[in-house]
Amino acid sequence: MIYRPPFIKQGDGSRCEWTNCNCASHAMAVMRHRKGVDPRNEHGWPPAPAEIRNRLGACGGTDLAENDLAVQHLYGVNMDVRYNIPMASFRSLIISGRGAVVPIWYGVIAPTRFDASPGFTGGHGIYVNERRSSDGAYLVYDPLADHRRKAIPQGPQWWPASLLQKAAEAFPGTRGGCIHASFTRDTEV
Amino acid sequence: MPVKDQKKPAPKANAPVEEHRKHADEILAKDEYKEKPGALGKSDEAKP
Repeated sequence: MIYRPPFIKQGDGSRCEWTNCNCASHAMAVMRHRKGVDPRNEHGWPPAPAEIRNRLGACGGTDLAENDLAVQHLYGVNMDVRYNIPMASFRSLIISGRGAVVPIWYGVIAPTRFDASPGFTGGHGIYVNERRSSDGAYLVYDPLADHRRKAIPQGPQWWPASLLQKAAEAFPGTRGGCIHASFTRDTEV
Repeated sequence: MPVKDQKKPAPKANAPVEEHRKHADEILAKDEYKEKPGALGKSDEAKP
């Protein structure tokens, strides 16, 4: 059974909450990477979007590399950040036992039932925990999916692989057929 | 004559996990995927 981290929402009332998508996604990735085990250092546990944000500084958009540096410092987690990897290779990395933070373009998600921020169509960060072999869907932790209103999904959702690919390919700076992602260690060996 | 780097395709989805693991290790070892694209975007502010 693949380890499933608890869902961590970005809308937690903290400073910069609505730009903390990558911070919240990395907090969930840290939980997967460490399988919930506290590193017992001088920083807080469990990982929190606000603590990662405080390490990054001012509010605003973030990327994979800067979040990776923050979680290395705070939790001793060294993510594998990769750019423009083929989608089929991404699939192999997930099947083999890794979780991943993936940058996506929310304009692709907006018209679907997975939309967790009506009116938002920009760059976003999500955490992908696993793939379901029966239909190829991915278990996506969208940090906006907190059910703060009736129509907003709650917690992890199974996204069709085609939707994840389309949203990830649409992120600026991505080549067709490829996606960017930051991977946890293989927790299933 | 230089040998052209031929990319090995990823295993099929239903291949044994060990094949996926081997491919994953090969992908992570390649330098070409570590290079940050120049036009890389950042996340934006979502709607509450």
